Amino acid sequence: MMTQKEMIESTVQFINCNESSEEDFNQQALQLFRYHYQYNIPYRTFCSQKGKTPRTVKTWRDIPPVPINAFKDVTLSCCDPEQAEAVYMTSGTTQGIRGKHYHPTLDIFDRSMIKNFQERFMGNTDKIRMGILFPTEQEMPNSSLARYLKLAKERFGTEDSRYFIQNHKLDVEGLQKELRNAEVTGEPYALLGASYSFVHLLEELERGNQTFTLPKGSKILDTGGFKKQSKELELDEFYQLLSTYLGVNRSACINMYGMTELSTQLYDNGNQSVPAVKSGPSWIKTRVVNPLTGEEVAKGERGVIVHCDLANMNSVSTILTEDVGVEVEGGFLLLGRVEGTEAKGCSLAMAEFLKASKGLEK
Amino acid sequence: MREIAGYIPNIGEESFETKVLLFERNQETIEVEIPILTHEQMSRLIDKIKHSSRKVLKSFSVNELMNIIDEAIHRLLERDSSYRQKAEKVLPIVTGYDEEMIRLGLTSYLKTFRKHELQRFLVEDLGNPLLLDDFQPRVKGGFSKAFSPDLITHIWSGNVPGLPLWSFISSLLVKAGNIGKVSSAEPLFAGWFAKLLVEIEPRLADCFAVLWWKGGEEERERFIFQQTDIVVGYGGNEAMEALRSRIPITKRFLPFGHKLSFGIVSKTSLDSLKALQAAHLAALDVMRYDQQGCYSPHVFYVQKGGNVSPKEFARYIGHELEAFNRRFPRRKLSMAESMEMAAWKNKEEMNLFSNPNNEVLGNNQNDWTVVFEDSDLSLTPSSLNRVVKVKEFDHIEEVTKGLLMHRDYLQTVGIAASPSELFQWSHLLGSVGVTRMTALGNMTSPEAGWHHDGRFNVLDLINMVDIEASAEQLSEELAPYAD
Repeated sequence: MMTQKEMIESTVQFINCNESSEEDFNQQALQLFRYHYQYNIPYRTFCSQKGKTPRTVKTWRDIPPVPINAFKDVTLSCCDPEQAEAVYMTSGTTQGIRGKHYHPTLDIFDRSMIKNFQERFMGNTDKIRMGILFPTEQEMPNSSLARYLKLAKERFGTEDSRYFIQNHKLDVEGLQKELRNAEVTGEPYALLGASYSFVHLLEELERGNQTFTLPKGSKILDTGGFKKQSKELELDEFYQLLSTYLGVNRSACINMYGMTELSTQLYDNGNQSVPAVKSGPSWIKTRVVNPLTGEEVAKGERGVIVHCDLANMNSVSTILTEDVGVEVEGGFLLLGRVEGTEAKGCSLAMAEFLKASKGLEK
Repeated sequence: MREIAGYIPNIGEESFETKVLLFERNQETIEVEIPILTHEQMSRLIDKIKHSSRKVLKSFSVNELMNIIDEAIHRLLERDSSYRQKAEKVLPIVTGYDEEMIRLGLTSYLKTFRKHELQRFLVEDLGNPLLLDDFQPRVKGGFSKAFSPDLITHIWSGNVPGLPLWSFISSLLVKAGNIGKVSSAEPLFAGWFAKLLVEIEPRLADCFAVLWWKGGEEERERFIFQQTDIVVGYGGNEAMEALRSRIPITKRFLPFGHKLSFGIVSKTSLDSLKALQAAHLAALDVMRYDQQGCYSPHVFYVQKGGNVSPKEFARYIGHELEAFNRRFPRRKLSMAESMEMAAWKNKEEMNLFSNPNNEVLGNNQNDWTVVFEDSDLSLTPSSLNRVVKVKEFDHIEEVTKGLLMHRDYLQTVGIAASPSELFQWSHLLGSVGVTRMTALGNMTSPEAGWHHDGRFNVLDLINMVDIEASAEQLSEELAPYAD
């Protein structure tokens, strides 16, 4: 059985390797499954209940996917959670319980992020001046997105790159100055942050009737959806507004799809048309399944998205999301979250019950 | 196939704006066209119904009305009548429920509204049904008559086919005019029933309407409720809250919001023979309408100490659900329902880690799920669609203790217990908010005249008008023949 050190090394190697075939991915995934089965006890229980053991799991597709909600209920970790270098938590939920993802080392998360970001966002550019619309890692130590943006800024941002959120407030004035400055100098500029912060920015610009034309080569990266933190915009409207107010072509507006429960991000190649095709690097594979049977649905049919992320070396590799998608050429389309079911009549479904009995519990 | 839903009396209009709803099941599709009235049409409709309610409907005797309803029900019960055939063909496509389940469910449900059951409804609530026709002498002295409103508006839900009949028929019995808003999940049955009534008794043509508008159209609802005497609403609590906010304080609102039901099995029914039967009945309650009813069970509390243990009983139920699934396959679930169900089951499977004595049973297709739980007796809703928990207990008090906090949500309990347990347990369950005890296997078929959520079928729809004894005595003195 592999030790943690060996598993980390093997994972790093796999991420660094530029040529990996389907078979290589399979071998790595099975090896990782054995490791999780051995050391992640709740996951082992979960798998044996489903009759899945290292003996019966023959390909990466057989690995039992864990629903993201499980990260709230049990500790899914191969290492002692106390020993973890970082714990990333999901944003609060209706019940205030947050899912936790333990990373014994951030080395893998960082490598996964950097290699992927370089390829999908930076392209041939080494450095770009950045504005970050998100709190710093110090302000949000349990946010994997804060870590991600910090890495982006440190690794790929120029010296003058800076944050424009302080105490959870958007520094609109500072940002407008920065954008005017970019217009004047002609230096390409990148704005990165949470989708809802962009909505706040757009609202401010609309109010002040301000538009910008950022220099050629400028880019935008938004992520995470609106999370009820801002008004919900239709994707098409959102990117149209970004392009109108900031003068960045929609093909340079990249959306990053990431989750606390993953260690790897997925990207599109711009949002000229929406929904845009998303895809990830060689160490993550995505399937679209029927949630009831777990079977893959036919290409082009709607289903629920399952990711197998080999950079998830300490928790579980395979995650059942709550996102609906469709597999297409070159990746998948994200069609949004599944809306909760409304009970059709007077019967009561779980979510509503919890909402109703909140405050009753003593 | 295209079907016109709803029923609109003659208000001098030939054409209405319509909305088309599309339903699909097993490659069969049906388009349901449903009229939507303009404000002005709605206004005329309300006037018409109120007028006919006063002039026509109230001139019928309650016995005549019972005969008309009885006739309509019998036509729906006859397998070869055109209405029945349409219902059997169309409802499975619209609701997604299995044909056979619909057929059996309809029959058992419709039987509740035959004449002798209708009499039961009335006697149950009024004692003397003639109160609806004329002033009747009272035991206390004096006379009373039950006066009904001119207009009752019903906001129906679509979780169980035919459900609107409860309130529709109750209102007809008390001679009230009706406007029913159907749900887009099942927009047809109430309209068929209305048409059938008019076929049988054309004089009723302008006494009711069945139509649709988008739930939550505030202006429209305010306008209608302003002119309605009573609003009966079925649906989620949020929807009920919204309705309530639009109903003037002078009007009566009868909301039937969210409810939660469960079963309870005594060790007396857990010997080797009886347990099989009990599991069959429990599974039947779970299978019927895929638990979409307020009377559908979410949990079965099973007593320890019988020959068959609660854990074994859970397996029995699983076996029965598997058998039922072959005969009455579950309807096709939406993506959201599928995910919710998968998530629910996954969560239970994860819980096995901290509760190794629990058991999660199901098949690969996730057609049903039974979870056995040995330590937690709380009442929790299942994700529906044939998903149920079995929890073991020693003493009834362990079960009732945790129920009090859910008082507002409790409704039906399916019981399998000895006579002395039945009464003792019912007493305890009633005191924490349960309003209906029924036999296991019977949860989804309430008997005629049941007290829905503890209330009355017709009593809440009428006003009692009294002639006090003093008025009668005084009148005697004023008679032309007084000595």
